[in-house]
Amino acid sequence: MKAAPLALVAAVSLGAVVAAQQPPAQQPAAPAAGESPYRIAGRLPVRIMSFAVEPTTIRPGEKVTLTWATENPTSVTIDPIGRVAPRGRQTLSPGVTTTYTLSVTGASNSSDKRTVTVVVQGTMPNASSDASSATARKAVPRTADGHPDFSGVYGYGAGGRGGPPPAPGALPTTPVLKPGAEKFKVVRADDDTGQYSSCMPPGIPQTFFVPYYIQLVQAPKHIVVAHEYLNLFRIIPTDGRAQAADPDPSWMGHPVGRWEGDTLAVDSVGFNDKTEINGYRHTESLHVVERFSRPDVNTLQYEATIEDPNVFAGPWVIRRTFPLLPEYDSLNEFVCENNRDYKPLFGKQ
Amino acid sequence: MKVKFAALGIALGLLTAAPPLSAHHSTAMYEMAHPTTISGTVKRFEWTNPHAFIYLDVKDEKGNSVEWEIELMSLNHLRSYGWMRTTVKAGDQITCTGGRAKSGAPSMISALLKLPDGRELKS
Repeated sequence: MKAAPLALVAAVSLGAVVAAQQPPAQQPAAPAAGESPYRIAGRLPVRIMSFAVEPTTIRPGEKVTLTWATENPTSVTIDPIGRVAPRGRQTLSPGVTTTYTLSVTGASNSSDKRTVTVVVQGTMPNASSDASSATARKAVPRTADGHPDFSGVYGYGAGGRGGPPPAPGALPTTPVLKPGAEKFKVVRADDDTGQYSSCMPPGIPQTFFVPYYIQLVQAPKHIVVAHEYLNLFRIIPTDGRAQAADPDPSWMGHPVGRWEGDTLAVDSVGFNDKTEINGYRHTESLHVVERFSRPDVNTLQYEATIEDPNVFAGPWVIRRTFPLLPEYDSLNEFVCENNRDYKPLFGKQ
Repeated sequence: MKVKFAALGIALGLLTAAPPLSAHHSTAMYEMAHPTTISGTVKRFEWTNPHAFIYLDVKDEKGNSVEWEIELMSLNHLRSYGWMRTTVKAGDQITCTGGRAKSGAPSMISALLKLPDGRELKS
């Protein structure tokens, strides 16, 4: 299996390389490094593929369907609706003649706009409003019992950004190992693709730290925290019950919630010892207290306080901020059927 | 269809190649610092988490077919780029740019993809 020398010119055909199922006996000279393909992809300009409304003229009370498609966006809004998904369809019943403006932004300050107008016979048009500022002015919703309602789909988190600054004397954000517990620090081989590539549950809090969305669904006596990642979920009781005395060890732990004012505290024990937390293993004595709050309508604040007397010298915290994604109302299916064994792809270095 | 090794932006030097937030696993098994561009005919498209996959029929210089496994990002990333499950269909002639497997196997992770009509999409 001969791999041709790699000419450093785009579009040079090197068909022989394609057939290489095994590392070639003689490795070609390494080509000069190129630009990361993700960096190249990051410059692709945004574009609007389509934006339409049908029908364009209605009588009061009738409905129209708005459809749109964009590509390579970093943000998509429709005024006066607000943030929307890159592709979508909405059925609306505007009360008056309304102009909808689809605005997209993308890489390198690229942007585009298109408008469509629905004429509602016998009415005058409304003045346009700023959809994004209208969203920002919304109050945090509350449930019938007065608690803030965390229900919604949220994006993956930013590490500590956007949250309140730590108070003086606050717990550390990195762990201190207790003497003799050095073996719990994870050290990976070069061809170890990490704790996630095995498609096993990452546990709590680590399941919050993967680049997949989460969805919270709040009920009077429970809150469901669902993760797109592995479609993991917890149904957390918030009815005031006490923690179980001796729960069986499990990947995601045994959670019990309680309200601390507008903050939901979730106390979990009963973990197995198979997961990691930011580069550290733990034992079945792991105890995690998560605190969820919603300081504004667009933000879910998350804080996990981690204790394991067999591993850490004291408790430590991880904070994340998850942005509300009002354009989504469900998560994607996640089945690891197509997961790969990535180690063979490393080959001989 | 030919396999091409594209030295893209050589003068820019060695750059790290991780996606903005790698979905699910690292890209250490792929040669991200030396991007690869290949073209071929889509055999099938798997619209699945944790990663979507395209199986691409690529012809080598002798006209032999080789099936390449093209790994894409997760569905939430792809949707955010404007993808849907019909964006790529069997029979489409496409071009993918990304990092190929360090082992030499016909496998790569694609960062951007050119569709039959010339549109380029993050992948």
